Amino acid sequence: MADEKPKDPGAVFQEWVTQWERNFDSFANKVMGTEGFSQAMNETQKAQLKMQGMFSQFMTEQLGKMNMPTRDDVLRLGEAITAVDRRLERIEEKLALDGKKKRSKKRPARTKKPASSQIDKKENEA
Amino acid sequence: MSEPALDKNLLGDMQTFVQRAIDRGRRTFELATAAPEPVGLTPKDVLYSRGTLRLYHYHPLSDEVYRVPVLLVMATTNKAFVFDLAPGQSMVEFLLKQGFDVYVIDWEPPTPEERGLTLASYTQDFIPTCVQKVQDDTGETDVSIIGYCMGGVLSLIYAATHADGPLKNLVCLTTPVNMHGMGLQNVWNDKRYFDVDRLVDTLGIIPADSVTQMFEMQRPAQKIAGQLRLWEQMLDDEYVKSYRAFQRWGDETLPLAGEYLRETTKELMWDNKLFNGDLVVSGRKAKLSKIKVPMLSIVAEHDHLAPRDSTRELLDVVGSTDKEEILLKGGHVSLIAGPNAVRRMWPRLDVWLSERSV
Repeated sequence: MADEKPKDPGAVFQEWVTQWERNFDSFANKVMGTEGFSQAMNETQKAQLKMQGMFSQFMTEQLGKMNMPTRDDVLRLGEAITAVDRRLERIEEKLALDGKKKRSKKRPARTKKPASSQIDKKENEA
Repeated sequence: MSEPALDKNLLGDMQTFVQRAIDRGRRTFELATAAPEPVGLTPKDVLYSRGTLRLYHYHPLSDEVYRVPVLLVMATTNKAFVFDLAPGQSMVEFLLKQGFDVYVIDWEPPTPEERGLTLASYTQDFIPTCVQKVQDDTGETDVSIIGYCMGGVLSLIYAATHADGPLKNLVCLTTPVNMHGMGLQNVWNDKRYFDVDRLVDTLGIIPADSVTQMFEMQRPAQKIAGQLRLWEQMLDDEYVKSYRAFQRWGDETLPLAGEYLRETTKELMWDNKLFNGDLVVSGRKAKLSKIKVPMLSIVAEHDHLAPRDSTRELLDVVGSTDKEEILLKGGHVSLIAGPNAVRRMWPRLDVWLSERSV
């Protein structure tokens, strides 16, 4: 009888994990790939979004009554700040670009040829 | 074997087992409290930024570069550091070492005022602007583009609507084109049940968690299996480093501009307009048959996000005569990063692109 080398427990574990993953994914994909699942998932999402929309509307009304800014108000303020920030960015970029142009960065020559053409060249020369 | 010897072996094995379990536990604790894995370490400059858009130029790593610069376009749902995970595991570093001048389009989370970004914003504004920036920076007219996943779709739309533009070569990595072949995503986005208008109108920006959930639901066991494999390999530093870099990439999935999702769902997923040649963006017809530049499509055999049915016909619908498809083993992400990519994809990409970059 030939001597059977005992299997590395690590490799056995890895194999088991791979097999388990494959089986589980295959099963889950079958379940989740049905029209019924899609319908249920999207209905749940719709209900969540409806709730979220209603809550958002309720909060907007309440905050308005309390003379407090809503999320949209804060976002609008954020947009205004971002717009100023972008103008500053553009000015900084322009200044940096001018500086770079003055420094005239050294770049490698754009003359590289692919290895295959070097081989062809050598073959032709030979 | 005598009994005392058997006992000794058993004792030794048990000691090793217990010691390894202790080491793994200690390492798990260390990792739980460790800073995120550093990624994107290849030196670069931010050449241009506007809102969600970032354009990087990587510092050349060779004395001589190919004439035509390369612009990588990342999918809008993920960070581009997957192209530059870690030294030795970086596609950008590889391309630089092979002599390419590399530029990358990356994305930040869209700001609330960017919820209205559309396909036109990406393909008629962001990409053309970046191409122009690359032209200005290099002094070259020609530019090659490599698009990954939806970045590939955006690149295709750009190429189709700028057929007389400066594009020299187009490489699409795991890029779906027939959206009716998207498998589970077609079922979940069934127009009878998926109310994309309500989703976009309510949320404005689609949260990153929802995008991640959509990805993870397609391989529900992947996360747990990954953690089990990590436990097994916990004492292998290289494996742990790589795992954490990939995990960071997954964790930093980006939110999505609502209008962009609405448009991609209706125009691309439901009506399959890009594939059928009916897509119009900013008044320009995006007919893929108008693309005439040399084209390479690299796809993965076990890609669940861009299934084979969605990628198979890409080369049939473009107008290029110089075109090639490379089908490789692996999945959606392992095609571009990790040991599979190093061994299989990058060298093939280098050979194809270098011959067309002079």
